[in-house]
Amino acid sequence: MSIVILRIAAALYAGAAAAYIAYFARPRHARAATIGFWFLAAAFGVQAVAIGVGCAEYGGADFFGLRGGLVLVIWFAAGAYLLLQRFYHLPTLGAFITPVVLIVLVPALFGDPAHPEMMPERLRYPALTAHILAAGLGVALFGIAFAAAAMYLLQEREVKGKRFGALFGRLPSLDALDRMVQRLVRAGFVVYTVALVAGTITASAVWKSAWSWDPQQVASLVIWILYGGMVQLRHNGWHGRRYALLTLVGFVLVLGSMVSLKAVPGVTRHAGDYGMRPPAGGAQ
Amino acid sequence: MSARDLFLVGLSHKSAPIEVRERVALSGEALKSALLELRQSDGVEEAFIVSTCNRVEVYVRAEGDAPARRFFTSRAANAGDHLYAKGGVEAVRHLFRVSASVDSMILGEQQILGQVKEAYGLASAVQAAGAYVSRLCNRAFATAKRVRTETEIGRGTISMSQVAVELVEKIFGDLKGRAILLAGAGKMGTLSAKALADLGADRILVTNRSPERGLALADQVHGTFRQWEELPRLLVEADVVIVSTGAPTYVLTRDAVAAAMKARRHRSICLIDLAVPRNVDPAAAELGDVYAYDVDDMEKVVESTQAARKGEATRAEAIIEAEVLAFAKERETRAALPVLVNLRRRAEAIARAEAERTLSQVGAKLDDRGRRSVEAMAQAIVNKLLHGPTARLKEAAASGDGTLAGAAAELFGIEGDAAKPAELDRREGERREGERREGERRGTSTPSAASNE
Repeated sequence: MSIVILRIAAALYAGAAAAYIAYFARPRHARAATIGFWFLAAAFGVQAVAIGVGCAEYGGADFFGLRGGLVLVIWFAAGAYLLLQRFYHLPTLGAFITPVVLIVLVPALFGDPAHPEMMPERLRYPALTAHILAAGLGVALFGIAFAAAAMYLLQEREVKGKRFGALFGRLPSLDALDRMVQRLVRAGFVVYTVALVAGTITASAVWKSAWSWDPQQVASLVIWILYGGMVQLRHNGWHGRRYALLTLVGFVLVLGSMVSLKAVPGVTRHAGDYGMRPPAGGAQ
Repeated sequence: MSARDLFLVGLSHKSAPIEVRERVALSGEALKSALLELRQSDGVEEAFIVSTCNRVEVYVRAEGDAPARRFFTSRAANAGDHLYAKGGVEAVRHLFRVSASVDSMILGEQQILGQVKEAYGLASAVQAAGAYVSRLCNRAFATAKRVRTETEIGRGTISMSQVAVELVEKIFGDLKGRAILLAGAGKMGTLSAKALADLGADRILVTNRSPERGLALADQVHGTFRQWEELPRLLVEADVVIVSTGAPTYVLTRDAVAAAMKARRHRSICLIDLAVPRNVDPAAAELGDVYAYDVDDMEKVVESTQAARKGEATRAEAIIEAEVLAFAKERETRAALPVLVNLRRRAEAIARAEAERTLSQVGAKLDDRGRRSVEAMAQAIVNKLLHGPTARLKEAAASGDGTLAGAAAELFGIEGDAAKPAELDRREGERREGERREGERRGTSTPSAASNE
């Protein structure tokens, strides 16, 4: 059931992407951006329903798989962008985010959740819920920062390289993009910190150990240190191109660890067997 | 039938050198009296003159273009060699193209439309423009507006200072809380500094080797003068630096910029070098967070704008063509109107006379209501009887067939063009304009409201 609703949401995302790309191609048609916004808002709403129905069907078990995880991240990314759009009015960013959202969502539209059985009662901790939600939101914010950083690099190439091509005049100013990247990284870092704290609490309760060298834990820590370092570097005056490149690297790491850790079965206890089995290796 | 039509005689930057153009160009009172003189020439019904520094064009609604030609030859004997003349639809097309800035020296520039509007305004004021010219001009203005909104012919930047503003906008957005440094007293630099100040810069700093010139310059751009020796420190303070000195060597070397960047903690800086020979070492542009542009770079932007506008011009021409056709069609419909008006006038006169005759015989037996009924009946018979022929005549005229109107005139023994229904013509025009505006408000594109009828 939830998959059908999700497909409707995907169709709406496709509409939003088409409208935003049309706007990007012909910025005179301001209406296209408005249409994109409302398509995206509708997609966000429909996906919320899909997630709700999915939770009722599997008790949240879906979120342990790559599929569910990505669906959640996409939802947060769409929501975060809608919020950004409300305050900053950056319709060109939509042309960068909506296609990515759509591409990531497409694999999730086929096949059923990896673990269709209900999540065991003993795992239903508020800390676990917080962990999942915060991780999803954090990754979504990093994702938008990635898009903004990509825009920055494109714009920088045009402005600095004196190539006044099609992109010139369509993207926000370098300064605005730079500030946005920085804000998104900072917000993402804060939310990601919450995810890590909540995850640690859950791990102590379920696995009886806060730290067990689980590959996902290690990867998360590396990512947290990286983004934390970026927040600190900003204070030291880092900005612009170097910062944008770092933002790209950060998100590639996030996405790479998400996909690779879930692709290899049994390598991490985050993959959806709820820690029933002992970890593949390490201290336990 | 009338042989009156629109004729245009003119010369422009394409056909005549400035020496000729300046001898025939008019403005103010001279233009007004020339217009009146033209209006009083034989056979000229309406006229208006577009006179700018790039073109002088005389439009007349007359039986031929001789009066318009005289306008030029009487002012400059050799003007005759540089004139172009167009008549009918060709002249309409020319006016539409000029208004839409497709014929301008700088494609898509905005001034020309205002100048044509002025020309029309003046002609209206001295009553040289009548129903035809106002309709024509209104269509020309509407066409220009369509071209501006539906194509990108007016987009992009065509002057150096505009390019500088655009570049700075791409880097910083606006300049709130930032400072501009103007180094050197070059004219382009001063212009650019003024244009950039509009981006909301907090301060304008001015420096120059000679303090006297520098102080005067600072006054001119509302900035503060600082000694030339302070330049390294100024590079740290300012975010946009415009350099236009007459120095034959690099004023800003790579090392100087690198040192400034270090002191700025790599806050971005934009260096605009408007001097020839260059004042900013090109190697400085390779430094991180330094955005440096020289005159050639800026020229490239101007060129790319011009190239883009040329591409858009094709689309503009298509719009103009559609509007010219719509206008021509509308005029043909209008051509049938004299017959229609006369036909109706004749029929109404008969109806009125007959009603009066009837009432004089039996009117005494009727009350007020009865008398009104008789009059209304006579009018109703006229309306019903003429409804079919009216529709068919309009239709035939709209499809370019003038024979039916001639046949009707012949058949009913009325003149085809005796009484010019100017009043009606204008009212009709206003109604159409209203419809068009309505259409635009609804957001539908109406290439021609007239052709829908």
